[in-house]
Order: sequence, then C-alpha cells, then structure tokens
Amino acid sequence: MRSFWPIYKREMFAFFVTPLAWVLIVAFLVVQGMHFFLVVDHFAHQVDITSDETPLAAFFGNTVLLYLVLFMLVPPMTMRTFAEERRSGTVETLMSGPVSTASVVLAKYAAALTTYVVMWIPTVLYVVILGRIGGLDGRAAASAYLGVLLVGAGYLALGTCASALARSQFVAMIWTAFALLALFIVGMGEFVTREGTLFHDVCVHVSVWGHMNDFASGLVDSRHLVFYGTLIVLPLFIATRAVEAWRWG
Amino acid sequence: MANLTKRYGTRVAVDDVSFEVGRGEVVGFLGPNGAGKTTTLRILAGVLGSTSGSATVAGHDLVRASLEARRHIGYMPEAVPLYPEMRVVEYLRFRAELKLVTRSQRARFVDEAMDRAGVLEVANRTIDHLSKGYRQRVGIADAIVAKPPVIILDEPTAGLDPNQIRHARALVRELGREHTVVVSTHILSEVEACATRVLLIHHGRLVAQGATSDIRAMRQAVAVDVTVRGSFAAADQALRCTAGVASVEPLETTEPFARFRATFEGALSTEDRPGATERIVNAMVGAGLGVSEVRAYGGSLEDVFAALTQDPGDLE
Repeated sequence: MRSFWPIYKREMFAFFVTPLAWVLIVAFLVVQGMHFFLVVDHFAHQVDITSDETPLAAFFGNTVLLYLVLFMLVPPMTMRTFAEERRSGTVETLMSGPVSTASVVLAKYAAALTTYVVMWIPTVLYVVILGRIGGLDGRAAASAYLGVLLVGAGYLALGTCASALARSQFVAMIWTAFALLALFIVGMGEFVTREGTLFHDVCVHVSVWGHMNDFASGLVDSRHLVFYGTLIVLPLFIATRAVEAWRWG
Repeated sequence: MANLTKRYGTRVAVDDVSFEVGRGEVVGFLGPNGAGKTTTLRILAGVLGSTSGSATVAGHDLVRASLEARRHIGYMPEAVPLYPEMRVVEYLRFRAELKLVTRSQRARFVDEAMDRAGVLEVANRTIDHLSKGYRQRVGIADAIVAKPPVIILDEPTAGLDPNQIRHARALVRELGREHTVVVSTHILSEVEACATRVLLIHHGRLVAQGATSDIRAMRQAVAVDVTVRGSFAAADQALRCTAGVASVEPLETTEPFARFRATFEGALSTEDRPGATERIVNAMVGAGLGVSEVRAYGGSLEDVFAALTQDPGDLE
C-alpha cells in the first residue's frame, strides 16, 4: 500500500494540471447555479408555505437535475484512469514498479473521488445562503451531502471499473454513461411496477432517485448504506481483477 | 529464468527459454523483430505473467515475491511510455517515490539519474515537448533512478540519431560497471558495442548464447565484392587459380569498371579468410587490374540466424 500515495498524488496532478478537472468543475457549478436559482425562485413565489418540502430537499431530492449532471460528469472523470494508461503504455512502467494492483486501483479511484468532492465544495455556499434566509436543518443538510458523496462514490467506482475493462477512453466513457443510466432507469421501475412484486422491491432497493429523496430529507437508511457500499466495493474489486488479468493476457 | 513459455491463445511467443544473467554482466538480447525479445523482457520485468516456467530476480521469484522482485528491477519498455503532462523532474520524483526511494535520498537520486542519462538541461521541460532522443533518456533515467541491481532496457537506441546512439551505448556500458544490464536489440553491431554476452532469440526460442566474441566470429564474411578497373573476363581468369575462392560471379557495374563477387570455399576457416581476401587483391594487381573497392559480403545478423537456425547446436 506504500505506492498508494505517490500514485494518488500523480493522479490529482493529472486531473488539475490538464484542463479536464477545471472544465468539469466550471460546467458543474454553472449547472448547479442554475439549478439553485430555479429552486429558490420556485419557493420565493410559492403561495402555500405549509408544504413540508424545503428548498434543501428540493435541491438534492425529487429532481432529475442532480443525476443529469452526474451522468455527464462522471464518465469523463473516470474514463482516463486505466484506458489511457493502457493506450499510451504507461501502465507497463507503472506496473513494473513495486506496486500492488489494489493500491493502483484505490489510488486512482481516490483521486477521482477527491476531485468529485472538490467539485461539490462550492455548493456548500448555497446551503449557507439558504440558512441565512430561512431556517435550515443542519442534520438534513449533512445527510444530503452524505447522499451526494455516496451516489458519486458509487458512480465513480462503476466508471473506474469500466475504464479498467475497456480498451479505449471513449468506450469506457460510453459504458459508464450507459451503466449509470441503466441503474437509474431500473430505479425508476419503482413507479411503474406493481407493488408487492419482487421486481418492484428490487427497483426500490436500487433506486438512486429514492435514496437521494431520503438523504435530502435527512433520512439515513442503513439499507442505502449497504447498497452504496456494494456499489463501491464490487466494481473496484472487478477493476482490480481486470488490471491483474492484463498481466496474464 | 527457467523454461519460460508464453502463449497467446495458440500462438507461442516465447518457447521454453532458460538463461541466467550474472551480477555485473551486460547481456544483449538479440533477435529480429517479433522474435519474442520484448515478451521475454516484460516477463523478466514482472509486467507480464508467463504461461509456464519461472523467473527469479535477485533471489526473488517474480510470481511468488513479485513486489520484492520488482523492487530490484529498473525497466524501460520499448516505446518509452511517459506521462506527457509532467515535467521531467516531476516525473522522475514520482517514479523515485513509487520505487520506494526514501524522502531524504529522493532529490539526490533524481539528480544523479538525470545527470547520468544526460537530461539535466531539460529537467524543467514538459515531457510532451521533448524530442525522441530526450524521451529515451528520460526512460533510462527512470530505469536507473532507484539504483536497482538489475536494469532492463528494451531497444534503448530505437529511433535515435547516430550521435545519440553512441551516447546511449556508452551509457549502457557505463551502467554495466555497477548494475546487471539486459538490453534488447535487433542490431548486431549494437550488442557488439556494449554487451559482454549475447542471447540470440528467434521465433521465441533461444537459439544460441555465448560471449560477444563468439557471435562476432560467426559473423564472418562468406564472400567479397570487388570492383576493379578492367574487364570481368580478365579478373575471372586471374582468380581461376587463387586458393580459397570457390566461385566468381559478375555483378552489375558501369564501364570502365568490373564488379564481381568472389565466394570463399565453405571449408575455409575464419582465420584463413583475410588471407584469401589478400590473395584475391594480389591476383588482381598481378593481372594489372586496379582495385578500387573491396567489400565483405555476408555476416549480417540474418546470415548468423540462417546459420544458427539450420544447425542450432553449432555455437556451443
């Protein structure tokens, strides 16, 4: 695991020295700014203020905007991780060093996750603004951010896995986008399948939409935590095996 | 390295290769393109697993003690892949840290590696903007930065200009003083220039190994191409009774010169060949034909391989 740190540092360097991270962060913040404006505007003109929905819950839950932007941002964040190293051959120099496959995968994943967190940090300002103007449930805000972190962590793990499996960045990007979309659509099955059936239960369990609604309203369900734990660990495990398999290819 | 085999599906890239490299040796890995050199080196560097067989570096098995074995190796892959967005010094610092060079030693090791590989003057340049020659040297600097006992360089002179090739060969020779070096190449003279021992690989098989001088001996000319001022008929006449010459055939030329190839008798030993060449020249001069050019024919790597693959046991 001693190789984790240098690889992590290099990945962060690669993210921030190339325009990629900055482009993604700027695009993300523009979209989130518009999103925030719409939410605030909506609540400012609301006549019926007895509704129990808060702007905070509307910002993080019950909106497709959150996922739309992640569908666009996660694939380009993770597509490079392995596919690019494989194409350019640098993976050969990397793996010739005394590095374990697991530490390579974890370091690259951690760097992507850090970038993701950095991307979200400025949005804390919105929460502060909401708190200044009206009341704010601090615990709900914390759980909303926990949800954002978990959803992102799961998505990035899927993306990292796709990058380890794909031969080119582009293929990795497409795979990731479709995987995220497929997961989201299965979750949407919650609303179209009949209640009480197994399929409905499965849909509810994997519904990112449903999870975020819960997190946004301050509800931290242990089943959600287990789901995201799986969504993070399983793809990373597969990625590690895939990278290991190159050696025997 | 014992009984190493690497298969890709049904294609056998490396077939039952075994060899040993001693401490402080510079070993040249010689073979035509596609012979299995790179595959063998990649296995040796711990980047690729073998289908069967085993490899040990500095006493550590490359599969069972992979990390420990890889600590003792500095490897430069064939195409010298580098991270284009990094500066040379940043890249080497990263590599040194990755190769577990302690923080206190890191700056010094990186400086020394840059100095030896001759990249000090481009230390602060982005790798993206480097010429092929400098990239190659950065690759070598990377291989030596952690001062590993074993250095593996895959085609270190590929794509360099003659000046850079000379520099690279000198560097390899110098590295051989402190490290065990394995270099691959498809150019015979390259091995002769820097290696003490040669491993010849062909179609994934180790066809011969021996001291560089043994291989040099195999590289004997089979004929000489001679250009004289005069007619071919006169030259042919003069060579009829020259000892050691098996046959004479005319080659294309322009008046007033005649060019021909005088093939040595197969039984002629290596030591006798220069004598035969002298006799050919004497015969020409004796016949009143001015010799304007004498060039050895044959003895290329291909000829050596042709000889070896027909009779692989020849060398030992």
